Amino acid sequence: MIAEGTPAPDFTLESQFGTRFHLADHKGRHSVLLLFYPLDWTPT
Amino acid sequence: MPALDALVGQFAAQANTLCVGISVDSKHSHHHWAYDLGGVSFPLLSDFQPRGAVAAKYGVYLEQAGITDRATVLIDSEGIVRHASTVGVSGKRNIDELLALAVKLNRLEDFTPPRPRGALAPDATLYVREGCRFCQSVKKAVHSLKLGDAITVRDIEKDPAAREALAAFGGEVKVPALVQHGKVQHESSDIIRTLAELYVLT
Repeated sequence: MIAEGTPAPDFTLESQFGTRFHLADHKGRHSVLLLFYPLDWTPT
Repeated sequence: MPALDALVGQFAAQANTLCVGISVDSKHSHHHWAYDLGGVSFPLLSDFQPRGAVAAKYGVYLEQAGITDRATVLIDSEGIVRHASTVGVSGKRNIDELLALAVKLNRLEDFTPPRPRGALAPDATLYVREGCRFCQSVKKAVHSLKLGDAITVRDIEKDPAAREALAAFGGEVKVPALVQHGKVQHESSDIIRTLAELYVLT
Protein backbone atom coordinates (compact mmCIF):
# COMPACT_ATOMS: atom_id res chain seq x y z
CA MET A 1 0.00 0.00 0.00
CA ILE A 2 1.11 3.53 -0.72
CA ALA A 3 3.13 5.10 2.11
CA GLU A 4 1.87 8.05 4.12
CA GLY A 5 3.83 11.20 3.31
CA THR A 6 4.28 10.38 -0.39
CA PRO A 7 2.67 12.32 -3.26
CA ALA A 8 -0.62 10.76 -4.38
CA PRO A 9 -0.41 9.36 -7.93
CA ASP A 10 -2.61 11.42 -10.24
CA PHE A 11 -5.47 9.81 -12.18
CA THR A 12 -8.61 10.56 -14.16
CA LEU A 13 -11.61 8.24 -13.96
CA GLU A 14 -15.25 8.33 -15.04
CA SER A 15 -18.08 8.39 -12.49
CA GLN A 16 -21.47 6.66 -12.45
CA PHE A 17 -22.91 9.88 -13.92
CA GLY A 18 -20.51 9.99 -16.87
CA THR A 19 -18.53 12.91 -15.42
CA ARG A 20 -14.76 12.79 -15.19
CA PHE A 21 -12.84 13.04 -11.93
CA HIS A 22 -9.27 14.31 -12.20
CA LEU A 23 -7.41 14.19 -8.89
CA ALA A 24 -5.08 17.09 -9.76
CA ASP A 25 -8.12 19.41 -10.17
CA HIS A 26 -8.56 19.27 -6.40
CA LYS A 27 -5.02 20.18 -5.44
CA GLY A 28 -4.81 23.44 -3.54
CA ARG A 29 -8.55 23.33 -2.86
CA HIS A 30 -9.43 20.55 -0.44
CA SER A 31 -8.63 17.04 0.70
CA VAL A 32 -9.83 13.95 -1.12
CA LEU A 33 -10.82 10.69 0.54
CA LEU A 34 -10.44 7.66 -1.75
CA LEU A 35 -12.69 4.81 -0.67
CA PHE A 36 -11.59 1.73 -2.57
CA TYR A 37 -13.99 -1.21 -2.40
CA PRO A 38 -13.94 -4.70 -3.93
CA LEU A 39 -17.06 -4.70 -6.11
CA ASP A 40 -20.49 -3.16 -6.54
CA TRP A 41 -23.28 -5.23 -4.96
CA THR A 42 -21.09 -5.93 -1.92
CA PRO A 43 -21.04 -4.03 1.38
CA THR A 44 -18.82 -0.99 1.38
CA MET B 1 -22.19 3.52 0.86
CA PRO B 2 -25.66 4.73 1.99
CA ALA B 3 -24.34 5.37 5.50
CA LEU B 4 -21.44 7.19 3.93
CA ASP B 5 -23.66 9.15 1.55
CA ALA B 6 -25.38 10.70 4.55
CA LEU B 7 -21.97 11.80 5.83
CA VAL B 8 -20.54 13.20 2.60
CA GLY B 9 -21.91 16.63 3.45
CA GLN B 10 -20.18 16.46 6.83
CA PHE B 11 -16.88 15.48 5.22
CA ALA B 12 -17.23 18.53 2.99
CA ALA B 13 -18.37 21.01 5.62
CA GLN B 14 -16.40 19.89 8.66
CA ALA B 15 -13.28 18.44 7.09
CA ASN B 16 -13.04 20.15 3.71
CA THR B 17 -12.84 16.71 2.20
CA LEU B 18 -14.32 15.32 -1.00
CA CYS B 19 -15.27 11.64 -0.89
CA VAL B 20 -15.03 9.33 -3.91
CA GLY B 21 -15.61 5.58 -4.17
CA ILE B 22 -13.45 3.50 -6.52
CA SER B 23 -13.91 -0.06 -7.75
CA VAL B 24 -13.23 -2.04 -10.93
CA ASP B 25 -16.90 -2.00 -11.96
CA SER B 26 -18.25 -0.19 -15.02
CA LYS B 27 -20.00 3.13 -14.70
CA HIS B 28 -23.29 1.39 -15.63
CA SER B 29 -22.91 -1.05 -12.77
CA HIS B 30 -22.15 1.88 -10.44
CA HIS B 31 -25.20 3.78 -11.66
CA HIS B 32 -27.67 0.94 -11.04
CA TRP B 33 -26.08 -0.29 -7.84
CA ALA B 34 -26.08 3.23 -6.42
CA TYR B 35 -29.79 3.49 -7.14
CA ASP B 36 -30.55 0.13 -5.54
CA LEU B 37 -28.73 1.33 -2.45
CA GLY B 38 -31.10 4.26 -2.19
CA GLY B 39 -28.94 6.69 -4.15
CA VAL B 40 -25.29 7.68 -3.93
CA SER B 41 -24.67 11.33 -4.74
CA PHE B 42 -20.87 11.34 -4.56
CA PRO B 43 -18.75 10.01 -7.42
CA LEU B 44 -18.29 6.26 -7.72
CA LEU B 45 -15.35 5.96 -10.07
CA SER B 46 -14.85 3.19 -12.55
CA ASP B 47 -11.30 1.81 -12.42
CA PHE B 48 -12.16 -0.34 -15.36
CA GLN B 49 -9.84 0.21 -18.31
CA PRO B 50 -7.35 -1.21 -17.72
CA ARG B 51 -8.93 -3.01 -14.79
CA GLY B 52 -7.58 -1.88 -11.41
CA ALA B 53 -4.90 0.41 -12.87
CA VAL B 54 -5.50 3.22 -10.38
CA ALA B 55 -5.84 0.80 -7.45
CA ALA B 56 -2.50 -0.72 -8.51
CA LYS B 57 -0.85 2.73 -8.40
CA TYR B 58 -1.95 2.96 -4.77
CA GLY B 59 -0.90 -0.62 -4.03
CA VAL B 60 -4.42 -1.78 -3.20
CA TYR B 61 -5.28 -3.93 -6.24
CA LEU B 62 -5.62 -7.64 -5.51
CA GLU B 63 -4.42 -8.97 -8.81
CA GLN B 64 -5.29 -12.66 -8.41
CA ALA B 65 -8.87 -11.92 -7.39
CA GLY B 66 -9.16 -9.07 -9.90
CA ILE B 67 -10.71 -6.79 -7.30
CA THR B 68 -9.71 -3.91 -5.06
CA ASP B 69 -8.92 -4.17 -1.37
CA ARG B 70 -11.26 -2.26 0.94
CA ALA B 71 -8.66 0.44 1.45
CA THR B 72 -9.00 4.09 2.40
CA VAL B 73 -6.55 6.80 1.35
CA LEU B 74 -6.75 10.39 2.55
CA ILE B 75 -4.95 12.93 0.35
CA ASP B 76 -4.43 16.45 1.67
CA SER B 77 -4.92 19.62 -0.34
CA GLU B 78 -1.26 19.59 -1.32
CA GLY B 79 -1.66 16.17 -2.93
CA ILE B 80 0.19 14.27 -0.22
CA VAL B 81 -1.06 10.94 1.17
CA ARG B 82 -1.76 11.54 4.84
CA HIS B 83 -3.44 8.28 5.70
CA ALA B 84 -3.63 4.86 4.04
CA SER B 85 -5.25 1.80 5.60
CA THR B 86 -7.28 -1.26 4.77
CA VAL B 87 -9.90 -3.28 6.61
CA GLY B 88 -9.53 -6.19 4.15
CA VAL B 89 -12.01 -7.30 1.50
CA SER B 90 -14.62 -8.52 3.99
CA GLY B 91 -13.94 -5.91 6.66
CA LYS B 92 -16.08 -2.90 7.52
CA ARG B 93 -14.81 0.66 7.39
CA ASN B 94 -15.28 2.86 10.43
CA ILE B 95 -16.66 5.98 8.78
CA ASP B 96 -16.94 7.97 12.01
CA GLU B 97 -13.27 7.37 12.71
CA LEU B 98 -12.36 8.46 9.16
CA LEU B 99 -14.41 11.63 9.55
CA ALA B 100 -12.63 12.44 12.81
CA LEU B 101 -9.29 11.84 11.13
CA ALA B 102 -10.19 14.05 8.14
CA VAL B 103 -11.28 16.81 10.53
CA LYS B 104 -8.02 16.51 12.43
CA LEU B 105 -5.84 16.69 9.33
CA ASN B 106 -7.53 19.71 7.82
CA ARG B 107 -6.88 23.36 8.15
CA LEU B 108 -10.25 24.67 7.07
CA GLU B 109 -9.26 28.29 6.83
CA ASP B 110 -6.84 27.57 3.97
CA PHE B 111 -9.18 25.82 1.60
CA THR B 112 -12.24 25.82 -0.60
CA PRO B 113 -14.82 23.34 0.63
CA PRO B 114 -16.19 20.93 -1.97
CA ARG B 115 -19.44 22.30 -3.34
CA PRO B 116 -21.86 21.85 -6.23
CA ARG B 117 -21.03 23.73 -9.42
CA GLY B 118 -24.45 25.17 -10.07
CA ALA B 119 -28.18 24.59 -10.07
CA LEU B 120 -30.91 23.69 -12.53
CA ALA B 121 -32.88 26.48 -14.18
CA PRO B 122 -36.13 27.36 -12.38
CA ASP B 123 -38.12 26.02 -15.35
CA ALA B 124 -36.25 22.68 -15.38
CA THR B 125 -38.62 19.91 -16.40
CA LEU B 126 -37.94 16.27 -17.15
CA TYR B 127 -40.32 14.58 -19.57
CA VAL B 128 -40.63 10.79 -19.33
CA ARG B 129 -43.04 7.93 -19.92
CA GLU B 130 -43.67 4.61 -18.15
CA GLY B 131 -41.71 1.65 -19.46
CA CYS B 132 -39.00 3.66 -21.16
CA ARG B 133 -35.64 2.24 -20.10
CA PHE B 134 -33.68 5.42 -20.77
CA CYS B 135 -36.26 7.47 -18.82
CA GLN B 136 -35.83 5.05 -15.92
CA SER B 137 -32.08 5.56 -16.06
CA VAL B 138 -32.45 9.35 -15.85
CA LYS B 139 -34.98 9.01 -13.03
CA LYS B 140 -32.43 6.91 -11.12
CA ALA B 141 -29.87 9.71 -11.43
CA VAL B 142 -32.46 12.30 -10.27
CA HIS B 143 -33.05 10.11 -7.24
CA SER B 144 -29.34 9.52 -6.54
CA LEU B 145 -28.58 13.22 -6.78
CA LYS B 146 -31.58 13.99 -4.54
CA LEU B 147 -33.04 16.40 -7.08
CA GLY B 148 -36.66 15.59 -6.35
CA ASP B 149 -37.35 19.18 -5.31
CA ALA B 150 -35.25 20.86 -7.99
CA ILE B 151 -36.92 19.37 -11.04
CA THR B 152 -40.48 18.81 -12.23
CA VAL B 153 -41.06 15.36 -13.73
CA ARG B 154 -43.94 14.96 -16.20
CA ASP B 155 -45.19 11.79 -17.87
CA ILE B 156 -46.18 12.44 -21.49
CA GLU B 157 -48.47 9.39 -21.64
CA LYS B 158 -50.38 9.91 -18.42
CA ASP B 159 -50.60 13.66 -18.88
CA PRO B 160 -51.67 14.90 -22.35
CA ALA B 161 -50.84 18.48 -21.33
CA ALA B 162 -47.25 17.37 -20.73
CA ARG B 163 -47.04 15.91 -24.24
CA GLU B 164 -48.37 19.18 -25.66
CA ALA B 165 -45.92 21.19 -23.62
CA LEU B 166 -43.01 19.12 -24.89
CA ALA B 167 -44.30 19.28 -28.50
CA ALA B 168 -44.43 23.06 -28.22
CA PHE B 169 -40.64 23.19 -28.06
CA GLY B 170 -40.56 21.84 -31.62
CA GLY B 171 -38.83 18.81 -33.08
CA GLU B 172 -39.76 15.20 -32.50
CA VAL B 173 -41.66 14.41 -29.29
CA LYS B 174 -39.43 11.85 -27.63
CA VAL B 175 -38.40 11.04 -24.09
CA PRO B 176 -36.44 11.34 -21.92
CA ALA B 177 -36.21 15.07 -22.49
CA LEU B 178 -34.79 17.66 -20.13
CA VAL B 179 -35.97 21.21 -20.72
CA GLN B 180 -34.10 24.18 -19.26
CA HIS B 181 -34.44 27.80 -20.35
CA GLY B 182 -36.74 26.54 -23.12
CA LYS B 183 -34.02 24.28 -24.58
CA VAL B 184 -34.52 20.54 -24.97
CA GLN B 185 -31.87 17.91 -24.31
CA HIS B 186 -32.57 14.28 -25.25
CA GLU B 187 -29.82 11.70 -24.85
CA SER B 188 -30.17 10.01 -21.42
CA SER B 189 -26.42 9.89 -20.82
CA ASP B 190 -26.15 13.61 -21.71
CA ILE B 191 -29.02 14.49 -19.38
CA ILE B 192 -27.45 12.53 -16.51
CA ARG B 193 -24.09 14.23 -17.09
CA THR B 194 -25.77 17.66 -17.16
CA LEU B 195 -27.45 16.97 -13.81
CA ALA B 196 -24.27 15.61 -12.24
CA GLU B 197 -22.13 18.48 -13.48
CA LEU B 198 -24.41 20.82 -11.59
CA TYR B 199 -24.94 18.88 -8.38
CA VAL B 200 -22.06 16.51 -7.64
CA LEU B 201 -19.69 18.12 -5.15
CA THR B 202 -16.44 19.20 -6.72
